Amino acid sequence: MASRSELSAFLESVERRAFKQAVFAVRDEEAALDIVQDAMLRLAEKYGHRPAEELPLLFHRIVQNAIRDWFRIVQNAIRDWFRRQKVRSLWTTSLSSLAPGRGEDEDQDPLETLQAADGSNREEAPAEQLERAQVLEIIEQELARLPARQREAFVMRYWEELDVAETARVMGCSEGSVKTHCSRAAHALAAALRARGITL
Amino acid sequence: MNESQFGDKIRHILNQGLSLDSRKAARLQAARELALARKRPEPVGVLASAGVWAGNMAGDFGGWTGLSLRLLVPVAMLLIGFGAIYTWQQNQRAAEVEEIDAQLLTGDLPIDAYLDRGFQNYLKTRAAEE
Repeated sequence: MASRSELSAFLESVERRAFKQAVFAVRDEEAALDIVQDAMLRLAEKYGHRPAEELPLLFHRIVQNAIRDWFRIVQNAIRDWFRRQKVRSLWTTSLSSLAPGRGEDEDQDPLETLQAADGSNREEAPAEQLERAQVLEIIEQELARLPARQREAFVMRYWEELDVAETARVMGCSEGSVKTHCSRAAHALAAALRARGITL
Repeated sequence: MNESQFGDKIRHILNQGLSLDSRKAARLQAARELALARKRPEPVGVLASAGVWAGNMAGDFGGWTGLSLRLLVPVAMLLIGFGAIYTWQQNQRAAEVEEIDAQLLTGDLPIDAYLDRGFQNYLKTRAAEE
């Protein structure tokens, strides 16, 4: 049984990568934070009694399921929104002419109220650091563009360093599928990076 | 560069981008602490091995309450099942007897014919021939 300290150390070691993976998938940082929190709670509540060595596979599987759940919820919400919108559109079009104008708000400059990102006023980073940050950003963008299953397989294999069999168990597919997804992801990613002038 | 080498390089770069701003880091930390608070308490001291055994027996319920639940529920279900099977069999038997009685009473043959040994032998040989 994983002790409290083992579980804590494990969660601390994976939470940031899990957050990034959720961001790649859902492209929304707040939703990604919710997904990671949900996965952590599920792991602790349902599998907290399992041995520490089983936690990585369980956690990755829970994260992938939480991401799928999130998409399902969003799809349902979008469907509901369109359904409601159909009803509302009749009222909004007829009442829109009565709504007041934006008035003084139009004179405001959005830049005056825009908050600077943390640390953005620091002195300029060295060119090397900047280039590394740009490469990282491009890789993250291109990873997010990969088809979901390809990205999952590639990230599990090469970022989480799971072997093919473990990745197959997390993804719920055959080892052959994992190899195919990984290979396609690697080729697509390499081609996309090359197209953007990046050589590793 | 093969796929594995490419993957290693990507991992190296991705690992450099794991720093988060203080708000997100605090949110993850809060989530972690909440998760740890929801973890089931660990068994302590000499009760540890007994606790593991009880945990295995009790599954997700935990503790002696879970153990008794885990044992009592299947036993109760088993008894209810046996009772249901017994009642069903009794009903079936009663229905068969009723059917035979009805056939006997509505048949052309008098009931006494079935008490005749020769007629019984005739029925058996006829059934065997068919």
